Amino acid sequence: MKQIKRVDCFACGKKQLTKDEVGLNKKMIGREIKQFYCIDCFAEYLVVSTEALLAKIEEFKEQGCNLF
Amino acid sequence: MIYADNAATTKISETVFVEMLPFLQEKYGNPSSQYSLGVKTKRAIERARKQVACAIGAETAEITFTSCGSEANSWIFHSVGEIFGYESFHLITSSIEHHSVLNSCRALETKGVKVTYLPVDCVGRVSVTAVKAAIEPNTKLVSLMLANNEIGTVQPIKEIGKYLRKRNILFHTDAVQAVGHIPVDVKDLQVDFLSASAHKFNGAKGTGILYQRSGVSLARFVFGGEQEHGNRAGTENVAGIVAAGFALEESVAAMPEITKRMQKMVKLTVEGLRAKIPGVRINGDTKNRLPGIINLGIDGVSGEALMHLLDLKGICVSTGSACRTGIDQPSHVLMALGLSEKQAKSAIRISYGKYNTIEEADAIVNSICDAFSKIARTKN
Repeated sequence: MKQIKRVDCFACGKKQLTKDEVGLNKKMIGREIKQFYCIDCFAEYLVVSTEALLAKIEEFKEQGCNLF
Repeated sequence: MIYADNAATTKISETVFVEMLPFLQEKYGNPSSQYSLGVKTKRAIERARKQVACAIGAETAEITFTSCGSEANSWIFHSVGEIFGYESFHLITSSIEHHSVLNSCRALETKGVKVTYLPVDCVGRVSVTAVKAAIEPNTKLVSLMLANNEIGTVQPIKEIGKYLRKRNILFHTDAVQAVGHIPVDVKDLQVDFLSASAHKFNGAKGTGILYQRSGVSLARFVFGGEQEHGNRAGTENVAGIVAAGFALEESVAAMPEITKRMQKMVKLTVEGLRAKIPGVRINGDTKNRLPGIINLGIDGVSGEALMHLLDLKGICVSTGSACRTGIDQPSHVLMALGLSEKQAKSAIRISYGKYNTIEEADAIVNSICDAFSKIARTKN
């Protein structure tokens, strides 16, 4: 996963979220959000599996979304 | 999975699938062939033509099968350009048409055709008065959709058709979203051309329908053989055409019952959401509308986010905006209603179809409420 400017997980404090994690938060919550979850905390928050979110990331990449 | 995006496409009907299947297997003859295998497929096409014609009040000779609704729409614009000469006429359309119409108009503009794009009111209705006022001495075509694909608003086509017929101005309606969902009679509407698409009414993808009123000229669009009564070349999509005929016949027969159920689902959805979420806005006309479409926005909530959260729960709806290389672009239809960019981007479209149930509508309401609370909590 590519690195972007430093964003930490709002829930667990995990340092430096990846571009994919930040992009996923924007896609699933809203583009203008200021707080981000790491993928595991995001999966827990949304009550889905981490694998389901990773699959979504792949779908967004296939669609050409450059948030990822 | 709950599929509530029937305005995008529909699941093929089981009985329709059974009818079309033999034409992909044992009945695979070319309809232009002279031997029995070919003759039988030709008969199947003609039966489908009759089914479609009956469903929309047309004569069989007035129906041509195309590859899709977009081809049917594009054909009309190509034809008027060829017949009237590109630099010598004016046409009228609306700002909320499908891209197959809008982009055809833009292509004609590059060749010198003058195009008027009529605005719509806040519920997406074109004013009959505005159509009348936009007519110029050299107006040759008016093209307005019967029902909008994003908001479901139904246009006053009959009233406009009556006016244009008296003035000898060609009238086309893109009825892709309407045919099979609301009663459509080409004679009643007084249109010269009408486009439809089978996959929107539980037929198969790959078959469009073009109605051309008897006596009205249409320039050729696809060149080659003499298929489709010499109107359109190319070996016919027999299975798709057979499916179109049966699907439309089935949809029209079941329309009263399905409409009633869809209206109930829409009511339940709107009332359920309004009771639980503040600031739910319904986009489009609440009276003159297709029975199964709800376009709604929630203040401060991204439609894109809502759609993806619902997708994670196995619910398929669509959003009014389109993500192009990471940029969330608002719908031209919603912007034409006068919504702000933010409001347009908050929209999602739920479109119920014949296979949806009241229980599914309930589940959609609950899932939207759940997704809304997740978005709201994170943002706050």
